[in-house]
Amino acid sequence: MVGTALRSPAAAPAIVLATLMTMPLADSLYRIPIQVSDSLEPIVIAAKYDSAQHLLHDSLTFSPSTFRPLRYLQARALLAFTQATGLTYHAVFRGVHVVLLLMLVALFVAALRVRNVSDLVAFTVAFPVLIGIHTFLSMLLEAFPVNHFAEVGVCALGVFVLAQHTPRWFVPVVACALLVLSLSVIESGAMVWITVICCAAAGLPGVNRTTVVATTVVFAGYLLLRHLLGISSPGIGGHGSGFGDRFYSPEELAQRFGAHPLGFMLYNVIGGLASLLFAEPRQGVYALLAAWRAGEMHPVVLINVIASSATTALLIWYAAARLPRSRSAWSDADRTFVAASAALVANAAFNAVYIKDEIMSPAGLFYAIATFVAVRALIDSLPTRTVAATSFATCFLVAVAALWTFRAIGDQYQLRYHAFITRNDWVDVLRPDKHDDWPKDPTELAITKRLRAEAIGRRTTSPSFMPRWAERYWVE
Amino acid sequence: MRRSLIWIIAGPCLVLALLSAWWTAGLVAGDGLWPPDEVTLSEAVATRNNAEAVRLIESGANPNQPSHVRDGLLTNGYAVTITPIEAAVGAQRADSVRTLLANGAAVDQEELRVLRCLEEARRDAGVRELLAAQSTSAADCNGLRSPLERVQ
Repeated sequence: MVGTALRSPAAAPAIVLATLMTMPLADSLYRIPIQVSDSLEPIVIAAKYDSAQHLLHDSLTFSPSTFRPLRYLQARALLAFTQATGLTYHAVFRGVHVVLLLMLVALFVAALRVRNVSDLVAFTVAFPVLIGIHTFLSMLLEAFPVNHFAEVGVCALGVFVLAQHTPRWFVPVVACALLVLSLSVIESGAMVWITVICCAAAGLPGVNRTTVVATTVVFAGYLLLRHLLGISSPGIGGHGSGFGDRFYSPEELAQRFGAHPLGFMLYNVIGGLASLLFAEPRQGVYALLAAWRAGEMHPVVLINVIASSATTALLIWYAAARLPRSRSAWSDADRTFVAASAALVANAAFNAVYIKDEIMSPAGLFYAIATFVAVRALIDSLPTRTVAATSFATCFLVAVAALWTFRAIGDQYQLRYHAFITRNDWVDVLRPDKHDDWPKDPTELAITKRLRAEAIGRRTTSPSFMPRWAERYWVE
Repeated sequence: MRRSLIWIIAGPCLVLALLSAWWTAGLVAGDGLWPPDEVTLSEAVATRNNAEAVRLIESGANPNQPSHVRDGLLTNGYAVTITPIEAAVGAQRADSVRTLLANGAAVDQEELRVLRCLEEARRDAGVRELLAAQSTSAADCNGLRSPLERVQ
């Protein structure tokens, strides 16, 4: 199945292009030290437990509103791997992150199934969309200590690729395993179940009734387990989020919307979808609105809004003009488009309590897949159009591709910037003048010392030595 | 003609792929684009690179020793040789001042006067607060040469 797609003559250049564009990304990702925030604590917790079973038992109830046992178990497994191999913590934890990046790219290429020249040209537009969209970067910047959103993205794309091919006996088993894996690291793992449902609804052949029932049972079991463990869903005020042109702290949100949350939740769901389709708002904040009030517009906002809006217009054109009304008349490409579009719309519901780029990261993957289908349809339609229409469509696609390529190049800058910030965060850990604040537990102290030494020892680039204009064009 | 036209659409992506190939080749040959900074301790501080400053100190650099800061980082048109803490005050970085003090930088009364006068020229509330904690008396800046001035 995947092999068949890869054997087509256009697949090889697509793989070469994807590989070329991914290598510098992997390099910049690998340069980011392990984080202090979000990473140090789970690593220390995982290391302090005497056994994995004990850790699993306790991790089920670490938080009253989250169920993330695999966060700690995988950190413990990676610590054990570090000890067994003699590698650095950085090499192991960041190495896993790089592998996740490579898997995301490989699954994306597999999902597009590039087979001819039109596919290849459409791929050259869709791939920059994949790596240039802000939700993709959120799968690279944070780690807990492994980036859960990248894991969910890999699982969701894995299910999507399986769904595109003929049904096989192992599909329900693999889909359930991916769902369990993703639900055990973060709540957004439910996107794997959503993907199964969307693929089935769109009529993708690889997902049959057995897969839908099996994954639904697993998901229901997950909800039941949360209920039995007394784990509630996070409410308004559990996390900061934006509204209008400013960002509110958790306390401010609880005070302003806690009594009547429905309107705010609706704002978040719509805003989450808009953030993907139009690059605004970001984290719930409409930068355009803020810029208009302040009288100062950063180019990055305009570039992102124009690129996303133009691409969304293309998706709307495809849905309105190219997608047959009757489901039975849908081609493979139509079903892929519908499944991807449905999944990205459903993903927006996960923003109900607060908006965050990371939450929409699976939707970003599906957005790029839907873009591929729409761009290919436009390219295929060019020979039937007038010269003027062909010229306009070509110029439009070149402009869209150029904007997304510019955004994709910005990934490198943002990753380097993030590496610089993350390394600097370690300066305040184990400060020589605050010996009294150092961990008393010898295991915790030893791990913290080693992580700090590895992070401080990895030299990074200061933004002072990178182009001064870059921040205005690439950092929102 | 129309068939060849569609290859124009691939242009931006091909440019990105070529850039990426060049970037990767640079990595193989050395450190590639935007390599880690080769800086003195004062330059590390001047560029907000506190982690690099700590690495240099832990590797044996003297946090009280003046070192070279190249043109364009704190000054325009000329380089200066200043202590790391002068670079921190010149860069208006309270976090860098704090990091240096925590990692062995010593400030005597004469240096404190220099730093407070420098802060008056390059105002920063965080730096001012840290320096005020060292001495509350007002600084007399008359006749004092700024460490960031060009040496004739």
